[in-house]
Amino acid sequence: MLYIHKTFSISVQQNLLQANIELINEPVNKKLQAIEPAYEKIPPGILRRMGKSIRMGVGAALPLMSETDPVNGIIMGSANAGMEECVKFLNQIVQYEEGQLTPGNFVQSTGNVIAGQLGLITRNKGYNVTHVHAGLAFENAVLDAIMQLNTNPSNSYLLGGVDEISSFHYNIEALAGTYKKEEVSNKVLYEAGSPGYLVGEGAAMFVVSAEANNFIAKLTAIATIHSTDIELVQAQLKMFLQKNLEAGTAIDLFLSGENGDNRTLPFYTACETLLADDTAIVRYKHMTGDFPTASALGLWYACEFLQQQVPQHMFKKKTSKTSYRNILLYNNFKGLQHSFILVSKAW
Amino acid sequence: MGVISAIGNSVAENHQSLKDAVCGVSKAFDLFPTKYAGLLPFGQVPVSTEDLLQQLQVTAPGVTRTTLLALHALNEALADCGISPEDIKSSETALIGANTVGGMCLTDELYNDANNKTDGSDYLESYDCASVNLYLQKHFKITGVVNTINTACSSSANAIMYGAMLMKNGYAKRAIVGGTDCLAKFTINGFNALHILSTDNCTPFDEGRKGLNLGEGAAFLILEKEEDIKGRKVYAELTGYSNANDAYHPSSLSDEGDGPFLSMQGALNIANLSADKIDFINAHGTGTENNDAVESKAMMRLFDKPPAFASSKGNIGHTLGASGAIEAVYSILSLVHQEVYANLHFKNAIPSTGLTPVLAYKKMPVSHVMSNSFGFGGSCSSLIFSKV
Repeated sequence: MLYIHKTFSISVQQNLLQANIELINEPVNKKLQAIEPAYEKIPPGILRRMGKSIRMGVGAALPLMSETDPVNGIIMGSANAGMEECVKFLNQIVQYEEGQLTPGNFVQSTGNVIAGQLGLITRNKGYNVTHVHAGLAFENAVLDAIMQLNTNPSNSYLLGGVDEISSFHYNIEALAGTYKKEEVSNKVLYEAGSPGYLVGEGAAMFVVSAEANNFIAKLTAIATIHSTDIELVQAQLKMFLQKNLEAGTAIDLFLSGENGDNRTLPFYTACETLLADDTAIVRYKHMTGDFPTASALGLWYACEFLQQQVPQHMFKKKTSKTSYRNILLYNNFKGLQHSFILVSKAW
Repeated sequence: MGVISAIGNSVAENHQSLKDAVCGVSKAFDLFPTKYAGLLPFGQVPVSTEDLLQQLQVTAPGVTRTTLLALHALNEALADCGISPEDIKSSETALIGANTVGGMCLTDELYNDANNKTDGSDYLESYDCASVNLYLQKHFKITGVVNTINTACSSSANAIMYGAMLMKNGYAKRAIVGGTDCLAKFTINGFNALHILSTDNCTPFDEGRKGLNLGEGAAFLILEKEEDIKGRKVYAELTGYSNANDAYHPSSLSDEGDGPFLSMQGALNIANLSADKIDFINAHGTGTENNDAVESKAMMRLFDKPPAFASSKGNIGHTLGASGAIEAVYSILSLVHQEVYANLHFKNAIPSTGLTPVLAYKKMPVSHVMSNSFGFGGSCSSLIFSKV
C-alpha cells in the first residue's frame, strides 16, 4: 500500500487538467510520439546530451522534486532506457571498426541512466534502483516502492515509468511483428481487429509515501503474473479482488490496458466478464499508444479520474456514476506479462 | 548456489581456483572477432556458446550466451538446493535476475536488425535485459514475482536485495536471485572508449593499477526463510543489504566516496552490526584508478581500521551485472570454509591509503562478510552475509 501525492506525465496527449479533454492527438507515421515540454528545470548543457527517454524521465520527475522536501530515493521502471544510445554506440563500433570511439553514448546506454541522472541533478544519495523487466518494469518499481515504504514508513520516494520509441528499437519490434502493419487512426484503434499495437512513448512520475495526508490516490494492492493462459489470468484476478477489495466496496471503474491488438483482446474481455454490471470500463491506449511501461501512464490516468471527469472517448462502457472511488487497472504486455493494480480515493 | 566464471563451471571448481589463486584472465580470447583479441586480457568462460547450447540441451532459436550462462548457474543452484519442481513453480517462488548486456553480445545481429538491414534474425526478442529472465521464467514455469534489475555494475547485488525484500514483505516465500553477463564487443569498446581497460592483468588496490579487465559469468543463489528450510543445506544468512547513490558523476565515484560509504553503512544498520564485526570485505576493487582509491577511502571512513579485504576481479575480471551475485557466492564460500582468498597481482599499497589487501589464501575465523558493488549512475550496493 502507498499514497500518491504528486503526479506528472509526458505523452503524446496534453495534461488533462490543462487541455480540452475531448481533444486527442493522432499518430504520425504509425507512431504516437510524445510532445515534450520545454524542460526548464534541466540545465541546458545536460539537456543537450540527453536521449529522449532520459529527457522525458528527468523532465517529468524534476517538477515533482522539491529542494525543501526532498524524496528519500528514486525508483524507476524502464524497459528500454538507453536503448537508442546503445545502438548509436553499436553503430559507431561497426562504422569505425572498433576505432577511437567517443564514450558519451556508452555511458548513457546503461538502463539505470534516468534514475542515475536524477540522483546526480538533485544530489539525492538515497535508494536508487531501476527495474527493466519489459512489460512489468514499472510494476516492479511500484512493488519496490511499497516494500521500501513498509520498511521506512516516514520516507517518500520518486516512482516512475518511462520508455521512448527509439528508431532502432522500433525497427526491431516492427520486424518481430509487435506493431500494427497497417496505418490505423487512434480514434478507431479498438475496432481494428488486427494483430499488433500502435506504439507510443512517455513518462509518468509520482511522489509516493506511506502517509495519508494530502494524497491524490491510495494504491492499495498490486499483483503480477507471467502466463499465456487466459483462465489462469482470470483466476488470478478473482483471487486478487478477493484478497484486496475491502468488504462492502466495489470496483466502479475498470481501467483497461486494451490496445487494439487482437492477440491480447481475449485476456481483456475475459477479465471484463468478472466485473459487476455497474462497473464502468475505460481505455487509454488510444491516447498513449502501447509500450512496456505504458501502465505508468495508466496509473497517471487513474489518479486523474479520482479527481475529475473521464473524457467520453475513453469509455468502453458507461454507468450511471460520474465520479469514481475504486479503480482496477489491468495491463497485459504481449500476452505474457500481466498486472493488476487497485487504486482508490477515500473520502 | 550455482556459479560459472572464468575460473570454473561450478561452485566447487570456483572454490578450488580461489584457493589456488588461479587467474582466469588472459589475452587468449576466441569468443568473437574483435580487434582487441590478443591485445587486452579478458576473463572468458572457457566454454564455447555451442558447447553451452549442447550441454544445456537448448534447441530453441534465439537464446543468447548471456541467457545460457544464467541457465548453467541456475541449474546448479537448483540441484544444489534440492528444491522440488513444484516448489519452483509455486506462486510463492520469485525469480529476480540482473544483467546489463542482455542480447547486446550479438553485435552483428543487433546492428542488422536495428538498422533494418535484414528480414529479422532469430534474436529479435532477445536483445533487452528482460529476455534472460523471461526465458528462465518460461523454462522453469515460474509463476511468482519475476523481475529484472539493471543498475549497471551493481545490478545483481540489487537483485539479491530485492529478493530478500520480497520475502520480508510477504510477496514470496523463497527467492531465486542472481545475475549474468557475457563478454560483448559493446562493453569492450565502451569501457575502452572510457580509457579504463588495462592492457595487462588488473591489479586491484595496487599503486600502479592501470584499469579493469572485463570478464563474464553468472551466479544464482536461492534464498529461503529460516522457518521454511526443513533440513535443507544452509550456507549462510543474508543479514544486511543497502543501496545508496553517489550522486556525483555518471561514470566515476566522488573523491569522498559518499555512495560507497552510505551503502556500507546502510548494510551494517540493517544487519544491526557495528563496523568492527565485519571480518572480511569482498571489495568491488575493479583495478581502476578511481574505484580503488574511492573504495579505500570509504572503507577508511567507516572502519577505524578496515578489516581484511580483497577483490576477486583479478581472478575473473569485472563481470558487470553478474559480479554482485558471483562475489556473493565467493563471500559465502569464505564463511562456509572459514578462509579468505588472495587479491591477485598486488605489489604496492596506494600511498594515500597504505591499505594492503589479503595477499594469499589463508584460513581465518570469518563470521560476517561484506560484499561491495558499485556501478555507473552512482549506483552503490553493499551486502552482508553471516555465518550460520
